[in-house]
Amino acid sequence: MHAADQATVVAEDVSKVFFSGGDPVWALENFSLSLEPGSFTCIVGPSGCGKSTFLRILGGLEERTVGEVTMTGAEHAVPAAFVFQEHGVFPWMTVLDNVAFGLRMTGTSRRGREATARDWLARVRLTDFADAYPHQLSGGMRQRVAIARAFATGSPVLLMDEPLGALDAQTRMLMQEELITLWEQERKTVLMVTHDIDESIILSDRVIVMSGRPGTVREDITIPFERPRSFDIERSPEFGELRSRIWNLLRDDVRTAEETA
Amino acid sequence: MSTIENREAGQSPAGRDVEDERAERTLVAARAHRSRESRLRTRDLVLSIAAPIVLVLLWEVCARLLIIDPRFFPPPTKIVMALGEMALDGELWQHTGPTLLRLLVGGGLGAISGIVVGLLMGSSRALNAAFGPLFSALYPLPKIAIFPILLMIFGPTELPKIIAVFITTFFVMQIATVSGVWAIDRQLLEAGTAYGATGFARFRFVVLPGAMPFVFSGLKTATGTAVVVVTAVEFTGASTTGLGYLIWNSWQLFIPEKLYVGLLVIGIIGAVLTTLLSRSEKLLLPWRRNT
Ligand SMILES: Nc1ncnc2c1ncn2[C@@H]1O[C@H](COP(=O)(O)OP(=O)(O)O)[C@@H](O)[C@H]1O
Ligand SMILES: [Mg+2]
Repeated sequence: MHAADQATVVAEDVSKVFFSGGDPVWALENFSLSLEPGSFTCIVGPSGCGKSTFLRILGGLEERTVGEVTMTGAEHAVPAAFVFQEHGVFPWMTVLDNVAFGLRMTGTSRRGREATARDWLARVRLTDFADAYPHQLSGGMRQRVAIARAFATGSPVLLMDEPLGALDAQTRMLMQEELITLWEQERKTVLMVTHDIDESIILSDRVIVMSGRPGTVREDITIPFERPRSFDIERSPEFGELRSRIWNLLRDDVRTAEETA
Repeated sequence: MSTIENREAGQSPAGRDVEDERAERTLVAARAHRSRESRLRTRDLVLSIAAPIVLVLLWEVCARLLIIDPRFFPPPTKIVMALGEMALDGELWQHTGPTLLRLLVGGGLGAISGIVVGLLMGSSRALNAAFGPLFSALYPLPKIAIFPILLMIFGPTELPKIIAVFITTFFVMQIATVSGVWAIDRQLLEAGTAYGATGFARFRFVVLPGAMPFVFSGLKTATGTAVVVVTAVEFTGASTTGLGYLIWNSWQLFIPEKLYVGLLVIGIIGAVLTTLLSRSEKLLLPWRRNT
């Protein structure tokens, strides 16, 4: 109970039912999760199990059918900053304006928000692209803009829905390294959905493995590697064990999801 | 230069010569390819300018040699001379002015109100539910068909002509703008919500810029339609001014040169308006990929 007391994000028995046609679709059933402040948590699960739905409920983008969600830090102007998989940055704003957007909405002065945004652009190595438009950037650069925009709000909670999912494998590895570094400096509470098991182990303190639809917590796995982290952990035997443990938990549900899709 | 320098380390002099020679050959081939490409581009440009000129010359010659009937197709030089005369004695401006007025006032007001109504309907589910089906039902109605009603109400004044252009533009812009709002990527709307853009801020930073590409393509369509409608309205007996009237009257009096002058000027007006729109689109929407 102690952990729940100081948790930043607590979801209790959240269920979500969609109607597609006349039939109810249970996207989530009695899903409970609490995140400790400053922890990095990944959710993995078969596609269609409700991962995005859960994140969207936390981010206020979707109504829950029943259940309780509380967030400390809800008094912050942007209680939870969202990073979308793709197409999440505004094509009509320059890179700088995109990164400053959250602060602009909270009424920060132009000077203040542009200084913060420039600072974040430097940290994601996009200083030279401040005045470019997103269509002039590569996919990886656009996601760095999206990540910088989320961090720049100063929000205590970041919700990322497969932020690296659309990138090619090498760009993705590079971005994973950068994300580890940024996060280790900032220590925000991060909840990230990914379909990449290795990514979930490398990045997070804790991996939540979800069952197939309706989504529930199948297993809650603590990742023991210490910080700061590097890709060297991939070569350790513990890494291989964790990977096959997660895959064994997922395999049947992924197969079912494949066959019913 | 730098490629040669880079390769210098750890190679025998003989090997380097061979390497350099090969690189040189590759570069020569690449340059030849590039200059051929630029030659082709120049040729395309020349063709695109020359072809119309040749066609006009052909027209001139055929009309002079009576290969085509100059009563229907007067030689271009005669048309240009007629244009000059009409510009000097003021007849041209007497018709161009009213047409421009009808187009700009009717079209301008129609575009503005169409965009405003479109944005409102695109943003408000209730408004769209109330008026969407009605506007969709009215859209295919040829707006020109209600011109007699307008004449009946307002008499043969400027007002019915301006209103005819207004209505045409309004409908095109209203539909284009609603589609523009609906075409905004759902994830961008959600990004707006997630970062706290609500109410007017959401409109100003997400909905309005997101709908702009459709608004501009609507404006181009509307310009074409408005030119057709203004010409058609001026064809009717309700008008004694305007380029449409000039064309119609020249036919009745059988002065083909003037008819072609009317056609030419209205064509130029349409082209100028469309070009202005494309230019301002480039200027106002620098974030677009293809424009
Ligand atoms: N707006 C919606 N309307 C109806 N069904 C939906 C909607 N959003 C999601 N779903 C359904 O809910 C389930 C979970 O979706 P989602 O959370 O996107 O899965 P995941 O992100 O884990 O792949 C899926 O079966 C999906 O079809
Ligand atoms: Mg998803």
